[in-house]
Amino acid sequence: MTQLAETYACVPTAERGRGILISGSPKSNTILYTNGRSVIILNLDNPLDVSVYAEHAYPATVARFSPNGEWIASADVSGAVRIWGTRNEFVLKKEFKVLSGRIDDLQWSPDGMRIVACGEGKGKSFVRAFMDHSNFANCVRFSPDGSKFITVSSDKKGIIYDGKSAEKIGELSSEDGHKGSIYAVSWSPDGKQVLTVSADKSAKIWDISEDGNGKVKKTLTSPGSGGVEDMLVGCLWQNDHLVTVSLAGTISLFSATDLDKAPVLLSGHMKNVTSLVVLKNDPKVIVSCSYDGLIIKWIQGVGYSGRLQRKDNSQIKCLAAVEEEIVTSGFDNKIWRVPVHGDQCGDADSVDIGTQPKDLSLALLSPEIALVSTDSGVVILHGTKVVSTVNLGFTVTASAIAPDGMEAIIGGQDGKLHIYSITGDILKEEAVLEKHRGAVSVIRYSPDVSMFASGDLNREVVVWDRVSREVKLKNMLYHTARVNCLAWSPDSRMVATGSLDTCVIIYEVDKPASSRLTIKGAHLGGVYGLAFTDQYTVVSSGEDACVRVWRLTPQS
Amino acid sequence: MSYRGRGTNASSGMGVAEQSMTTYLELQRKKVHRYVIFKIDEKKKEVVVEKTGGPAESYDDFTASLPENDCRYAVYDYDFVTSENCQKSKIFFIAWSPAVSRIRAKMLYATSKDRFRRGLEGIHYEIQATDPTEMDLEVLKDRAN
Repeated sequence: MTQLAETYACVPTAERGRGILISGSPKSNTILYTNGRSVIILNLDNPLDVSVYAEHAYPATVARFSPNGEWIASADVSGAVRIWGTRNEFVLKKEFKVLSGRIDDLQWSPDGMRIVACGEGKGKSFVRAFMDHSNFANCVRFSPDGSKFITVSSDKKGIIYDGKSAEKIGELSSEDGHKGSIYAVSWSPDGKQVLTVSADKSAKIWDISEDGNGKVKKTLTSPGSGGVEDMLVGCLWQNDHLVTVSLAGTISLFSATDLDKAPVLLSGHMKNVTSLVVLKNDPKVIVSCSYDGLIIKWIQGVGYSGRLQRKDNSQIKCLAAVEEEIVTSGFDNKIWRVPVHGDQCGDADSVDIGTQPKDLSLALLSPEIALVSTDSGVVILHGTKVVSTVNLGFTVTASAIAPDGMEAIIGGQDGKLHIYSITGDILKEEAVLEKHRGAVSVIRYSPDVSMFASGDLNREVVVWDRVSREVKLKNMLYHTARVNCLAWSPDSRMVATGSLDTCVIIYEVDKPASSRLTIKGAHLGGVYGLAFTDQYTVVSSGEDACVRVWRLTPQS
Repeated sequence: MSYRGRGTNASSGMGVAEQSMTTYLELQRKKVHRYVIFKIDEKKKEVVVEKTGGPAESYDDFTASLPENDCRYAVYDYDFVTSENCQKSKIFFIAWSPAVSRIRAKMLYATSKDRFRRGLEGIHYEIQATDPTEMDLEVLKDRAN
């Protein structure tokens, strides 16, 4: 049996030049935001308490709680709105198509009986145009008592109107005002203050006086590297929590009652998490990497622990890590070796290998030896020196090097596994194994090096005995789409496989393949990263930008 | 009217041996066998019994008796308990045609299946399996109710 132990949630999808919408529960400190096709429900008091609703067929744009907190209405770019229950497995109440294009915002009526939605496309349009801003009006919000509403704009101004007559009654003072586009605004529960966030990377709290003018009470900034990614694009005043979201997806929680307290920072991935590594010396630490180059450290039981600050933020395609060092390759011809001290990366050394790297593996016992596979061959690296470049004559799709660096297995487009022995810089082909009926996608040695497992694009996985090169476990055909990743348990008794079909399947090497454990729907969009942290804990990551920890209960 | 004994199959010319029918009836009526595995004997041009399993044998014994690289027909008597606590038994006809088998074998078994199957009365469910995962015990459990 498997059980979901922890979810390390993804952050809201944010794009430059556009604000994002986050909304809060009327009853508790739970917030809603969207990432890809998922709606994430996050408990601000305990960020590990998170649920994901993944029923939209198109990227979701906004989600809001109903006034009584029982239902959530969520909308997506196809113009569809779904209303579902907050409890009871998110039972769907109703779904309907409101507009023919993207829905930008929606709101429940106070009695919870109606919803108004606005967006692009030939549908309902707004009731009245307000032309007081000179640039895009980014956000408009009624105060909780309905007496006023405020609009904020890319022209750096905020204008306050009377809630009933829609006449302009005041402005946010330009003294100490924002120096960049204001993307979002949120009223305090008592309607006397507003929180605004802006592209100038700061959030401001304004006191709104009775006559409708606003004066800055406090400016809040989060620590950041100062780059474009710190621009703030979303905000929410949720009871005592002031939530701001940056372009990079970092959620900062300030306290409304103690404005000087340093904010709690929550972060996660925004895009597909393509690799996962567990470092040997501390199995509670998980390092995950998404293809946009973001590397995040998580600690089991705690959650987000920090970002690895890299000197350059190029995209990452493959990642391998050992203690104190990370080796990455991206979409150029270089392999980067980065020494890691704590959360800081040192200066990276790079080596140009002449062609695009396709797969990367390190000899775990002597990690300065790296095997990089390219389109039609492999390159062996010692540190940052290219020791040899070998053209193998077939299209290489996956590779693995043994922990002692003496043997390598290269998988080809035709499904054949070629085993080579490595002496110095020479590769000698020892055997060719034919079993796979599709291009090989992943090869991994078992920790005790007595076996290796390979997965292919035809959904099949095979476990081989390393010495005899015979098939040890076959018929591992239970996935319904290509196998993306594979991991061995520390005692070499179990193999976990992750696939595009969103499932994770765990097999025991000593038992027939039919007695397997399946985790269905582990990650919407496909599972791309897998690792065991200990005998009974598997960590998986996927296209939904989340990382999940699963506990296996041994079958008696 | 149903045929008994020798008859010909319009598509492939394979007949059904007398013994195949009687063995099937033994499984169906007297519950003497847990499973029967049939093979097409090309020389005699008919479907014959290759193997039978006693009532004490398990599903794993049955799957182990099927060849990895060749096609077969099989009948399996599946016993189970329903949600209302009734003991039920359903007969499954399994057309085993693994993807790794030769194309000639697949063609032969595919064209002869219909004629053979029609002769077997009392089959509750039919399964076509092209790899072991498609005839997993879970699949039988799902289908039977």
